[in-house]
Amino acid sequence: MSKDVFVFVESKEGVIRKVSLELLSKGKEIAGHLASRLHAVVIGYQINDIAESLKVYSDSVITVDNELLKEYSWDTYTAVFAELIKRYNPYMILGPSTVTGKDFFPRLAARFRSPMVSDAIGVDFDDNTVKIKKPLFGGKILSWVVCRSDSMIFVTFRPNSFSIEAGDLNGAIVEEHIEVTRDPRLNIVSVEKTISKKVDLQEADFIICGGRGVNGPENFQILEEIADLMNGRVGASRSVVDSKWRDYDDQIGKSGKTVSPKIYMGCGVSGALHHIMGMDTSKVIVAINKDPNAPIFQYADYGVVDDMFDLLPILKNELQMVKEEV
Amino acid sequence: MNILVFIKQVADTEARIIISSDNKTLEIENKYVINFFDEFAIEEAIRIKEKIKDSRITICTYGPARSIEGLRTAIAMGADRAFLIDSTNYESDDPLIVAEILAAFAKKEGFDCILCGRQAIDDENANIGAMAAEFLNIPHVNCITRLDVLENGKVRVESEIEGGKKVLDITLPVLLTTQKGLNEPRVPFITGVMKAMKTEIITIDPASLDVPKETLDKNASKTIIFSYEAPPQRLPVKIVEGVTSGEKAKALIKALRDDVKVI
Repeated sequence: MSKDVFVFVESKEGVIRKVSLELLSKGKEIAGHLASRLHAVVIGYQINDIAESLKVYSDSVITVDNELLKEYSWDTYTAVFAELIKRYNPYMILGPSTVTGKDFFPRLAARFRSPMVSDAIGVDFDDNTVKIKKPLFGGKILSWVVCRSDSMIFVTFRPNSFSIEAGDLNGAIVEEHIEVTRDPRLNIVSVEKTISKKVDLQEADFIICGGRGVNGPENFQILEEIADLMNGRVGASRSVVDSKWRDYDDQIGKSGKTVSPKIYMGCGVSGALHHIMGMDTSKVIVAINKDPNAPIFQYADYGVVDDMFDLLPILKNELQMVKEEV
Repeated sequence: MNILVFIKQVADTEARIIISSDNKTLEIENKYVINFFDEFAIEEAIRIKEKIKDSRITICTYGPARSIEGLRTAIAMGADRAFLIDSTNYESDDPLIVAEILAAFAKKEGFDCILCGRQAIDDENANIGAMAAEFLNIPHVNCITRLDVLENGKVRVESEIEGGKKVLDITLPVLLTTQKGLNEPRVPFITGVMKAMKTEIITIDPASLDVPKETLDKNASKTIIFSYEAPPQRLPVKIVEGVTSGEKAKALIKALRDDVKVI
């Protein structure tokens, strides 16, 4: 086994996902510690442009380009990735803790009977031992996991765990040819993508989250406007989703998604524990609530005690002005 | 339809968790519940049985003796039988090992469909489903939001994908992971609870299953939790000053731009 590092690069409509660049930045640091090479692994169809733009981020860009790999499916992706692992014998295989990463990384780990650490948020080194930081119990506890060095290891990381560093490498593109076959037991009936133009909730840098206090689905308009202005996304608390004001896709919390944006802004969110579990790794938490006793203020960096319907339109104009200054 | 449901007893969201002074172990308050996402798996199994009379629901958990409580709840909801694979003398944190033991149980019992929650809310791994499917060499679909049993030995499932939905027809046997939105888990009736009290929960030793000897070794896991720590504490909240909404909005923007520099 080499000490090389693989990063699975996920893209969406031809654009590399931010989380993949975060992992390549961290991967470079890990490969540096292990005195090994970093490989960006791109699987898909017509991926030349993606591969080209990855050269600066890795020592080599491994591509498998095949029409059958255009849409992600665990059967094809697991098989192709497994074959690449056999050819290159890497030590660490990094991927995103996204719907896709969560879907096929466990299958890969089981196929190789190799350990897997999921939903991690950090990496550290103890001499030559890699330590991985992973939250447990909805973020109430952080654990540091070490893996025995004689085994290959799979790790998935949450989006927004690492910053993206400017690329200064010059990796060569290596095209690998692997035969792709679909699993005949799976038949796709339909694929429906709803909000593909917007950034995914888990990758968003800015999230404005509406709670019970938004008082109805029609009132989310101002939150949408601010989210669009900030290139972010609107999130929702559980009660909002349960009332069918917003889709489940927007739900933040224990029973929904875990997010760590740069700015989380809760509007009319009371701050129940199961919601806090989904957002308390955000960099800056802003709470806007007219009730000064709302529990969310205990978890926030900044609190605004005000009626959101008075505050948000003004806030939107102010944010607009900041944007124009830049 | 022969349905297996994998469940896990997990610490309740509200349970107090204390890190030992050497940072090596956790002390968890004795408040355990069925994993939130597993409830949807149990409920879906019961709904299949309500439609297809000739069905049997078997619940299985790999865990310590206290997990029997969760198995009884599942019986009370409407499952037929329940097995506890007792983890007392074995490694139970490494998902690779848990999945291999559950897969061995499934192989022994036989099944058409396995249901389990998309992830456990304690370790938050989301691994067991896909790993067990891999060990069993069957297809899996994660995060299903709709399930229909078709007549030709297939199921039609709708699942969440990145920013959308996907509908698949899959040949049985299959493993499906469940989440919110699939159904509304029922609260057991008193008659169900009484039935559950009388039902024998069968305890089995993992060593009786067909798993490699190494898997059951005390040091089988290749991952070790080196230490635990509490998450960093935030500073106390700064309430933004101002009388009017305009003043507050300006003060908030100023703080975000000049103090923490995030805009």
